[in-house]
Amino acid sequence: MIESLYLAWQYIRFNKIKTVILVASITLIAVLPLALEILLSESERQLLDRAESTPLLVGAKGSSLDLAMNSLYFDDEVPEPISMAAVERIHDTDLALPIPLYVRFQARGLPIVGTTFDYFDFRNLKIAQGHSLTMLGDCVLGAKAAARLGVGPGDNLVSSPENLFDLAGVYPLKMKVVGVLAPNHSADDLAVFVDIKTAWVIQGLGHGHEDITRTRDSTVVLKRSEGNVVANAKLFHYTEITEENLDGFHFHGDTSIYPVTAVITVPHDEKSGTLLRGRYLESEDAQQIILPAEVIDGLLQNIFLIRNVLDAVIALVGLATVLVILLVFALSLRLRQREIQIIFKLGCRKAMIGRMLLAEILIVLLVSGVLCSAVLGVVDVNAEELVRRLFVG
Amino acid sequence: MRPIHLLVMGLLLMLVTDASAGDRLSVYTVNYPLAYFAERIGGDQVEVVFTAPPDVDPAYWVPDQKTITAYQQADVILLNGANYAKWVGKVSLPRGKMVDTSRKFKDRYIYATDVTTHSHGAEGAHAHEALAFTTWLDLGLAKLQAIATYKAMARKRPVSEMQFKQNFKALAEELENLHEGIKTIVAKDPDRPLLGSHPVYDYLSAGYGMNLISVHWEPNEAPSFSQMNELKQVLEGHKAATMLWEGEPVPESTEQLKSVGAASITFDPCGNRPEYGDFMTVMSRNVEQLKLAYQ
Repeated sequence: MIESLYLAWQYIRFNKIKTVILVASITLIAVLPLALEILLSESERQLLDRAESTPLLVGAKGSSLDLAMNSLYFDDEVPEPISMAAVERIHDTDLALPIPLYVRFQARGLPIVGTTFDYFDFRNLKIAQGHSLTMLGDCVLGAKAAARLGVGPGDNLVSSPENLFDLAGVYPLKMKVVGVLAPNHSADDLAVFVDIKTAWVIQGLGHGHEDITRTRDSTVVLKRSEGNVVANAKLFHYTEITEENLDGFHFHGDTSIYPVTAVITVPHDEKSGTLLRGRYLESEDAQQIILPAEVIDGLLQNIFLIRNVLDAVIALVGLATVLVILLVFALSLRLRQREIQIIFKLGCRKAMIGRMLLAEILIVLLVSGVLCSAVLGVVDVNAEELVRRLFVG
Repeated sequence: MRPIHLLVMGLLLMLVTDASAGDRLSVYTVNYPLAYFAERIGGDQVEVVFTAPPDVDPAYWVPDQKTITAYQQADVILLNGANYAKWVGKVSLPRGKMVDTSRKFKDRYIYATDVTTHSHGAEGAHAHEALAFTTWLDLGLAKLQAIATYKAMARKRPVSEMQFKQNFKALAEELENLHEGIKTIVAKDPDRPLLGSHPVYDYLSAGYGMNLISVHWEPNEAPSFSQMNELKQVLEGHKAATMLWEGEPVPESTEQLKSVGAASITFDPCGNRPEYGDFMTVMSRNVEQLKLAYQ
């Protein structure tokens, strides 16, 4: 056997290019489906982790997928808003902790997540630089968001207008960056967090201006009647919240009707969760309560269907490659007919020649196997990071 | 028992005491009445923190960033509700820890009627500072706030619920006694006209059916000519013989009131920690003062 291996090795050394092509083809065809399998499993784990760590979500009736994707991964697709009364409704049941989310606005292409301080405890987000949200107008950046925007504590960040052509719309708000979060390896890394009240200021529901009932500048007053002062368009609205003008900021009307896109609902225990879900079963209820894990699982089932198609394509390509490799071997044998006859005439038995050819194939397969294992090992070790780069951004 | 045994037991007791002290429920409040309720209900199981300096009105005080961070770390944050301490609406606090102690009686909030609204843009008219907020001056409402305080603390520390309940009962009984005391005093002559030096007695007046009109006088300032004229106009249709003051008025104010036939009594809302005594002693003193007004 040693002689066969020796002769096979010498042949492979002599035909380097042909062998390299063979090894590369076999390695690629084995690596592709297996690496894809590893990456898909990892992305599934990451998606499900986020969903499973979010017990319940309350939002407007409609697409549960939009609701889950916007609330969990801060997707651009904004679900129909509900009011803060939904938060009070959950709070009043005394069954769960409600954490409102208002994910609608952006700052330089990154989502602005309006929420309450409880979100940071709930997601176990830690401050790496600066401090957490304190005042109206403060913002805290995810680790990647800070790196991408090149800003840190003490800098400012301006919210992006929703519509560039709406000149009479809400002014962008200049927010103060007060902190940067430690990496969390989730969608939180690429978000800009503000207090939900700051999100309402961005929308224009809350605003700041000088007190027109006491102003001495008569040019901003359009009409003054008993009990009401009407301001004209000259009234300057603050575009930045500072300690000096904080008192001038106020919200109009009842904040319980202010919008939120979803409410993360953390039941006190399993029984509370079940009871709470039962309260949203009425068909005329304008709100829905969803189990994010179920929704994301459904999404993954669809991804699996696509993966099956992909697997079939790869299998067909693989089969074609195997056939080509067989053809290469067959043609190679034909080309080596004279060489084989010379070996035979030199006194080598047919079995020996067979073993030699078999050894050549084994060596090629062995080298491909080693390379394939090495590549898959690298993919497996870096799967978490690769998935984040490929899917989270 | 050998001395060594006593020593070991003593050490163990110290350890247990230290552990429980270090593990006390941290309760932050926005005014003194709530701090008092939490202290009475929680006893040594609770560390109550009320951070407003003694010389300010906590309703208008704004804490600095360091203090807000301390509030964020609390186990329970007791709010008065009714727009009291407006800074709460302009900072980030953990909603899960915040307890609005007047939430259950929102329908009994009193809206000020003499507020100027303002309008601009498409939003229409809206007013600021329209709610009266010294809810605890109706001691019936104060008791409801004490219940909310007790429930919030018991939810956070179920193991101490029995102790909290016992302490709450004692507090509730004292509040009830004072409540009944004021009711009895006012019932003698509910139509008797009274004056308030500042519009802080809305809940007292509404809760006990008092006939009280407030002006805008400060205890540490003598009334101006226009303030006196305004008062005389009020007295034409509201023949009050007593004015309730938040604090001891300056002698000039007392003299000027005397000149129009009105006496002065102090009814301290006790929004901040008193220099002497506590909430109960201040309220008991208030009740005694009120008796003078209804003599």
